[in-house]
Amino acid sequence: MENFINVLLDPLKDFWAGFIVFVPKFIAMVIIFAGGIIIAWALKLLLLRTLLAANFDTWADKAGLTAIIRKGDIWGKPSDLSGKILYWFIVIIFLMIGLNALQIQAIDKVVSQFFLYLPRIFSAMLIFVIGYVIAGFISRAVLIAAVNSGYHYAKILAEAVRLMLIILILAMVLEQLSVAPSIVVASFSIMFGGVVIALAIAFGVGGIDAARRLIEKEYEEKKKKGEEDVEHL
Amino acid sequence: MADFYQTGIIITLHKLGRPSLEKIESEIFEFSKQRPIALVLPALYTEFQADAIKGIVEELKKVKYVQEIVLTLGRATDEQFKEVKKFMSQIPYEVKVIHNDGKRIKEIYATLERNGLSPGEDGKGRATWIAYGYIIASGRADVIAIHDCDIVTYNREMLARLCYPVVNPHIDVTFCKGFYSRVSDRMHGRVTRLLITPLVRSLQKIVGFHPFLVFLDSFRYPLAGEFCMITDLARVLRIPWDWGLEVGVLSEVFRNYSARRVSQVDIADNYEHKHQPLSADDAQKGLMRMCVDISKTIFRVLAAEGVVFSDALFKSLEVAYLRFAEDTMMKYEADAAINGLIFDRHEETKAVEAFANAIKMSAKIFIENPLGTPLIPNWNRVGSAIPGIFDMLKKAVEEDNKF
Repeated sequence: MENFINVLLDPLKDFWAGFIVFVPKFIAMVIIFAGGIIIAWALKLLLLRTLLAANFDTWADKAGLTAIIRKGDIWGKPSDLSGKILYWFIVIIFLMIGLNALQIQAIDKVVSQFFLYLPRIFSAMLIFVIGYVIAGFISRAVLIAAVNSGYHYAKILAEAVRLMLIILILAMVLEQLSVAPSIVVASFSIMFGGVVIALAIAFGVGGIDAARRLIEKEYEEKKKKGEEDVEHL
Repeated sequence: MADFYQTGIIITLHKLGRPSLEKIESEIFEFSKQRPIALVLPALYTEFQADAIKGIVEELKKVKYVQEIVLTLGRATDEQFKEVKKFMSQIPYEVKVIHNDGKRIKEIYATLERNGLSPGEDGKGRATWIAYGYIIASGRADVIAIHDCDIVTYNREMLARLCYPVVNPHIDVTFCKGFYSRVSDRMHGRVTRLLITPLVRSLQKIVGFHPFLVFLDSFRYPLAGEFCMITDLARVLRIPWDWGLEVGVLSEVFRNYSARRVSQVDIADNYEHKHQPLSADDAQKGLMRMCVDISKTIFRVLAAEGVVFSDALFKSLEVAYLRFAEDTMMKYEADAAINGLIFDRHEETKAVEAFANAIKMSAKIFIENPLGTPLIPNWNRVGSAIPGIFDMLKKAVEEDNKF
């Protein structure tokens, strides 16, 4: 009978022992998470004030960042969006730290992978933002140069340049995030190489006659010059 | 039938004989292949509860040459916007409704505001301006026509006659304003009859010959809300967002184009729409506010043209205006008599007195702050300051219209 009671009680005792160990960890997790929310809220407020003081929204409008956000059908102020991103980013970080406090092996692994991945996210974001601004700048420079040269398809050319640069930036971003890097690099190489070959073929085929005329003209001139030269014995 | 007298320095296109609507429409249809036309309709939601809009939509359904209608809707909730969109969907070609009170367009206005490019307060000026921006952004039209949505006597001939001079490359005008008479059992259009014409002519008498005054006086109905223009003009327009809108548009046309490329066209035998109360005691409402805004705009445009305004000039103007307005009133009284129309001399005199008061008020406001009349920036400047604004606007309108 006593044995039977032990059989019944042992799992309960184990559960209780586990529960006793788990509860402080869980409370620690909740405290860390709640603290994270407060810190995230405070940092969001601080960021918003800073961005407001720095006229970030106006800068974003002029640099074309607002236009990118709108393409995603997001209609808040760029500074609000930055604040929200920062808030959720910090909340997620604190959630991860909180989960770490539970000391569950599987979660620990996920958490450490997450923290290892963070620098990549940062650099990818940086590449995207700086790249987009540079793409816009180069595209406008091409547009101005093409218009000043009287090129009829200036706008199409400028848009094509911008598109190519954005594809390049996106490839770099995906590569940085390690999202199927081999496929990204391969497909980008194929696409970019394809465009260059297509341009080379188009230019080459279109310019065959011009190139032939140029070579023949040069040959004729050389020949004529050779005949005119006085040879001294 | 009208006479064929050419008024002033612009081209006046009369309605002579019985012009065939079908012929004009078929010609416009052919011309519009080269010069696509967009029609801008500024409207408040309340106008969709009246009968006039139903008649307008019925007529627009028969029009074949308009590439796109852009209805710019004000004072509407999201539900009311959807209702309007559904109502307009009976028109068998592209109709885009701009939801001025929607979150997307509001954010566009906020973007402009924080970049120091205020589009002004809610009103017809801002609503039409944003519609021009959308048309420029979509790049689908070379010609923009505009008319109100409260025209009780609307028929599609109005639109055809309005568009014809601008879309026809052989006439090739850049701007065409509609004119018509506004008569029921009496004459309406008090602001045009008793404010604009006497004011402009008094100014001509005091200031002397001035090209802008001659230009403004050439229009038979300068306050008509119906006009047609090339899209390029919409890019450079700097217009007031208040009641000075129509005069502001004319001043921009004067500034940017030769009078030889400006026309006015007889679009209707009669025109009827809602009437504004006089509100003689309150300069913030009704015709009084309209008169103050219009007078301010005229003073500002003339000042920009180099006319020096002083207290003495304004005092002379008040006296000259009263004399001109009284003389004009007598002419209209005779006109009303011969046509068997009611003419309430007392009401007309009250209107003149109120308008004289409005001129006095606007002169005071102008002296205190000559740059006080706010102008909406032109789209070229906006595009230069915020390079992505056209993409944003296009996205906002297209997302709003997706449901």
